[in-house]
Amino acid sequence: MDVAVGEYIRRTVLKIPRDEIRTVLQKWGFLSEAQLQSVNFHQVKENTAREVVQLCEENSADIKQAAVLDIIYNHIYAEKRMWSVYQMNRTGEATEIFYLTDFKKKIKRRLRSALKNVTVTFREYEHNAIWIRIAWGTPYTKPNQYKTSYVVYHSQTPYVFISASVYKSNLPLLCQALVVASNYHDIREMELRSHSLNSLKDIVFKRYSQNFQTYCPRPLQDRNVEPESADLRIIQENRSEKERIQRVNREVFGDGPQPKIEFAQYKLETMFRSDPKMDVLDKKEPFRCLIKFSSPHLLEALKSLAPAGMADAPLSPLLTCIPQKARNYFRIREKKGLLPGSFVSP
Amino acid sequence: GVFAHLEMLEMRAHKAAVKREEMERQEEKLARLKARVEELRLQRDELRAKVDLQEKGQLGKEGVVSDPAQPSAQAVLEWKIKSLKAMLQIFYLTGISSKLTKRGVCFSISTAYEGTYLDSYHLDLLTQPEVRILRHSVPIFIPLEQIAKKYLQTDIRRFMSVLSDHLNAYVGRRYQADQLQEHFSAQIEGALQRNSLCNLLVFNYNVSSQSKTFLFNARLLYGDPCSILPTEVVISCTPDAPAALAETAGVHSDLFRRVALHKAFRSVCSAEESVA
Repeated sequence: MDVAVGEYIRRTVLKIPRDEIRTVLQKWGFLSEAQLQSVNFHQVKENTAREVVQLCEENSADIKQAAVLDIIYNHIYAEKRMWSVYQMNRTGEATEIFYLTDFKKKIKRRLRSALKNVTVTFREYEHNAIWIRIAWGTPYTKPNQYKTSYVVYHSQTPYVFISASVYKSNLPLLCQALVVASNYHDIREMELRSHSLNSLKDIVFKRYSQNFQTYCPRPLQDRNVEPESADLRIIQENRSEKERIQRVNREVFGDGPQPKIEFAQYKLETMFRSDPKMDVLDKKEPFRCLIKFSSPHLLEALKSLAPAGMADAPLSPLLTCIPQKARNYFRIREKKGLLPGSFVSP
Repeated sequence: GVFAHLEMLEMRAHKAAVKREEMERQEEKLARLKARVEELRLQRDELRAKVDLQEKGQLGKEGVVSDPAQPSAQAVLEWKIKSLKAMLQIFYLTGISSKLTKRGVCFSISTAYEGTYLDSYHLDLLTQPEVRILRHSVPIFIPLEQIAKKYLQTDIRRFMSVLSDHLNAYVGRRYQADQLQEHFSAQIEGALQRNSLCNLLVFNYNVSSQSKTFLFNARLLYGDPCSILPTEVVISCTPDAPAALAETAGVHSDLFRRVALHKAFRSVCSAEESVA
């Protein structure tokens, strides 16, 4: 076994939390159950990793298997990476059947013809998710296994989720390969990024709960109404206002859990409006300003603002349109025309 | 002395005055209550008279008299609720329902496959200045834009019908694949390969002949997006399989093309059992 491969496996195992190492290795399936039994998983991680590498040596692991272990790790701990969403377009009818083997072949061929040194690994997961791991090299150097990009693609959809590596220059090549392999014409990056891959999927695949007005007999969910206090002396003074806020909030955000994004960024390119007498800026040029909202779970935080009394309901559509417009980066420019105000540009 | 005596007299007078007041108050109260009793007696007599009149079949001019033939407000309300529920049930059964919104219409498509209700999908449409889709929950791999481009502006009914066909076919195919995975996992070797639209299924399954098992590979292509049956079925067996199995493959291929996948598979397995 190549020393570099062994080292790579050792470092990958060290990334995994100690209690999860056994599960991940089982998913990998490269070491037999008997071999796994022989490893002591309760010792210091460094020792466990060394034992695992020893077993991989016995099985003559090569870079292909090591790459599979890496994909498995990144699939389980996908939230450690930042994911961007790309959208592909095509003109004309889209009634082609998606052939997985063709897709894989085309990707490999495209990447290898441009860059001889590249490691490409595929793995399929449930719900038709195809994970692609690419380790980039150059025409003169071997692929660097530590500089990897990951792509997640669901067949017959126009969206690709990419977690790029440091080598941003390889992105155009990767995009081109994807477009060709999936039978589309072009690809563009969307203004949508998050650590939560599943939430990004929820947003673009419209899997989050939107509140549609329907006659469908939906089971009435238990509303979060405070139980009537047993003490009749307590009166809710602004009960109607509270109910209005709940209703408006529900119309905007829906009933279910919100997709998880960590920030929303608004770049303002609008004119500074002040009292004409004050004339703060002598040059009439746009006041550049960047506003960033960040939170461990931004949309849930926004949903709870009005009920907590910290903001008026309904919230600004600039904040609430995030899942529907599938973006969390906005540029706000002046509205050209007689009416004052600003509009959101695509 | 004198003062003490005076005080005592004062107190006595005070007490007497209080008592007198008390008695006066009691008498007032009694008089009031008597008057009230009279009032109520009068009312009672009036009502009695009215009831008598009613029973005799004569309608008085004053007073609210409800026609016994007319149903009560309660009964009307109950009937309204019942007919509304029936209407909702009809919508649910036909699968397409709609509701007017502030800016247009919201359509809901409830899909089903052979008696099992599956997912519901919704579309929020704007009607001014032209018909446009505001937002929807249709899966991304259904060619919604194409269907909209063809029919949305000209014929909304056709649009909904075509979209409903696509969605029902998709959930039907998905249901068949799910059933296959759930109930026949023992006969299937390896994973069932499928794609988002469930219009290409590839899997390997075991066929036994003369107490030996052979691996068959099945490839089902559903060329028609609105159909729950495949347009192309290719069943191949391993090269070392006996020639007789080629005929079996042909039989299976024909079966998969005509019958829903999970039902076809069930008869394949039961045929196995009868042979073995």
